[in-house]
Amino acid sequence: MTQLTVTGVSKAYGGRRVLDGVDLEVPENSLTAILGPSGSGKTTLLRVIAGFEQADSGTVRLGGLVVDGPATHVPPESRRIGYVPQEGSLFPHLTVAANIGFGLPRRERRSRGKAVADLLDAVGMTALGHRYPHQLSGGQQQRVALARALAVKPGIVLLDEPFGSLDAGLRAAIRADVRRLLAAAGATAILVTHDQDEALSTADQVAVLRDGVIAQYAAPDELYNRPADPAVARFIGEANLIDGILADGCVDTVLGPLPVRADARSGLAPGPVTVLLRPEQIEIGERNGSRGLAGRIVSLGFHGHDAVVHVEPEQQPGTEQQPGTEQQPGTEQQPGTEQLNTGQLNTGQPGTGAIIVRTLGGCGLPAGSAVTLRARGPVPAWPRLTTL
Amino acid sequence: MTVPPDTAVRPWARAAVGRVPTPPAGPARRQRRPVTLIAAGCLVAALLALPLAFLLIEAVGSGTAQVAQLTFRGLTAQLLWNTVKLTVVVTALCAVIGTAAAWCVERTSLPGRRAWEVLIVVPLAIPDFVVSFGWSSLWTWVQGFRGAVVVLTLAVYPLVYLPVAASFRAADPGQEEVARSLGVGRARTFVRITLAQARGAILGGCLLVAMVMLAEYGAFEILGYQTFTTEIFSEFSLSFSVPAASALSLVLVLLGLIVLAGEGLARGKGKVSRSGPLAARKLAPHRLGKATVPVLAGFAALTALALGVPVGSAVYWIFEGGAHALAGVTLPTAAVTTAGYGVAAAALDTVLALPLALLAVRHSGRAHHLLERSTYLVLAMPGVVAAFALSYFTEHYLGGIGYQSAPLLILCYAIMFFPLALVGVKASLARAPVSLDEVARSLGQRRLAVLVRVTLRLAAPGLAAAFCLVFLSVVTELTATLLLIPTGAQTLATQFWAYESNLSYGQAAPFALAMIVIAAVPSYVLGRFFNRSAQAERMIIT
Repeated sequence: MTQLTVTGVSKAYGGRRVLDGVDLEVPENSLTAILGPSGSGKTTLLRVIAGFEQADSGTVRLGGLVVDGPATHVPPESRRIGYVPQEGSLFPHLTVAANIGFGLPRRERRSRGKAVADLLDAVGMTALGHRYPHQLSGGQQQRVALARALAVKPGIVLLDEPFGSLDAGLRAAIRADVRRLLAAAGATAILVTHDQDEALSTADQVAVLRDGVIAQYAAPDELYNRPADPAVARFIGEANLIDGILADGCVDTVLGPLPVRADARSGLAPGPVTVLLRPEQIEIGERNGSRGLAGRIVSLGFHGHDAVVHVEPEQQPGTEQQPGTEQQPGTEQQPGTEQLNTGQLNTGQPGTGAIIVRTLGGCGLPAGSAVTLRARGPVPAWPRLTTL
Repeated sequence: MTVPPDTAVRPWARAAVGRVPTPPAGPARRQRRPVTLIAAGCLVAALLALPLAFLLIEAVGSGTAQVAQLTFRGLTAQLLWNTVKLTVVVTALCAVIGTAAAWCVERTSLPGRRAWEVLIVVPLAIPDFVVSFGWSSLWTWVQGFRGAVVVLTLAVYPLVYLPVAASFRAADPGQEEVARSLGVGRARTFVRITLAQARGAILGGCLLVAMVMLAEYGAFEILGYQTFTTEIFSEFSLSFSVPAASALSLVLVLLGLIVLAGEGLARGKGKVSRSGPLAARKLAPHRLGKATVPVLAGFAALTALALGVPVGSAVYWIFEGGAHALAGVTLPTAAVTTAGYGVAAAALDTVLALPLALLAVRHSGRAHHLLERSTYLVLAMPGVVAAFALSYFTEHYLGGIGYQSAPLLILCYAIMFFPLALVGVKASLARAPVSLDEVARSLGQRRLAVLVRVTLRLAAPGLAAAFCLVFLSVVTELTATLLLIPTGAQTLATQFWAYESNLSYGQAAPFALAMIVIAAVPSYVLGRFFNRSAQAERMIIT
């Protein structure tokens, strides 16, 4: 069942469109992330759902009821939402227990009340019920803020970048806690974030919001492996966007022929296309006459579990001829771009033209080494974009 | 696990093709405006505009020629020079003393800061005319301009101290630390950060001081210093020349406008905002070190001059005059009457200030700002004008009903001291973040419940301070009281004035002391109360 339905919601501030026809459906008992760069309108969308802002057009339905529409605007206090703002925003004049009990009917508010005690227990703060917010750490404050939101048994919980102010280690722990608490409460939740890792690792599905519209709404794995367009691909994780020529379900690229994913073939005409190669789809090897794209390592980033290598391709006589180059009808052929007109268009590293490769445990080669690259399909592909 | 809807994947055609903005389906929906607040705010502003309306009606009634004749004369120029000179000097002195004292008490290791916190504010409880009585009855050199500067500075500097101290308490401590980390020295950090954070409060305090200077009557009368207000009072109540007094009052209102505009310009558009920690963090106090003794000496001197001289003088005259038998009869009655008026007017003002303060803080906009600003004008008007305005209205529109009644006097007080309440209420509301309101509403609380359970709770210290300020002002009010007091009733101020005018210093002194005590008690109790709750919070940590 759908808990939240947003249909065609638009919102402008002083002539500037912040939301431009947003559609979103959030199923019950799931955690949906709204992911977007800053200024994409994600917080505005959350505030429209919460009722702090009113949409200019479009409708918002919560649990089947219209709460924001042409003729209705249900105030926030009547929407049965749980709201966890960026900074937690605990009431500084109330104890932890009183904060959690704030939204409860009068007789249940006392800290000895069962509802409050249960929530204190759930967030692991039974002993701290009598403390005041300024006596808590950032992580504890966020836990209390979540408990306070859950106390009123909301139809939907709205989390506005709740982990932004926490340090990385704590963030992961609190994130897991929040997942667990939301699941235990059987709550439907929306998480607004600009952090791709956070969205992909925490949410059941992710809505990518950009320039006021939902660019794609999908499960994390689908979003990563089958982005709706190159721009989303680039936004979700690291991406090599490479030009090639499609023929017979296979794309000729600088990295050799790559099969196109079956689900990406429909509607794709043979001819110039752009494909997505994730860094882990590329293999790197020392150059010793083996087939593949010749290049040099320009930089290395070691991350422990893996290493990210940036490789600058080289025009090398004797290695495999770059397909696609000669067939290209002069669209982006310009003097001085000889090396890159091989068709590789890399937006993961704007300006450098390097290809990003991820290797487990590192490739064992220093920067400057001559290497060859080979890629594995299948890959998603889109009609070639002239500009991006 | 639920499966995301298939329909969700939308080809992002628009991004590639270029965006075609879709017009909204209908006319854009209007955001809900705070109608109730605006209505209430307009009502309050209208009430406060009564004195000005009276002035204009009088001026128009007597004709422009007469007004011009009464305005442009040598007397006006002399009064203007006297008033402006004194206002500028006293305001500057108060700004320095008030800010320095607030910083020492709130931010340094000053020994005995709990005691100083109270002693520094108590002079506010001493009526200006009692301070001038205290000084001029002991020393004859306290007269004219020199006397007025000394007396008024010592009497009103707490008007700067109070808001500035509150702002130091609430300021974000991280900013000072950041400034130091950026290589800015102690002194420059003080100027660029600490003072900058308190700028709004300092300017607000100066505004109050300047406005009080424009409206003060009793003290100048005793000191023989002639300003617009003393002249207006005599025109009104001695010569019964309403047109002349109205004309002078208009000039005074113009002066008030200039002060307001000046403060607005100086304040600029900068907003002090708090970023950073989720809850307030205490800053370690600056060590005074070798400066401890001089600073302590300064505080002692200030207290001796502002508190010691008036109180000592009153005590001296009680023994010297031997007036116990004569004064004892009406003192308790007068005290009860005074306190009753004070509580009623303070409560009324705190409530009246809420809508305008909420509009100013939560729904800032040009119109709301103007509405709020307009109410400051009443400070520029002598109490005598407000009193006459109300009697004028009751006489012309209510057939005299309510004239010289307690409710009318209380309303008059409420109008006169409204700006004091507004400053306090506004400052405290500004410290209750909007995000807390939103959280409370998301938790199912209606606007009114949010106001009571969150906003007002957080603003409570400021509300109490506002209440106190108005109460103190009422207890020490003289001019309007003289004109509007119900027949047969006496407040401490009117009884004191009667004896003082008669040069019966011994009989006047007990009333002066009673005023000081009755006004000092609430500030002391409140100070204790807030310190205790702050301590209790700190205790829980350990």
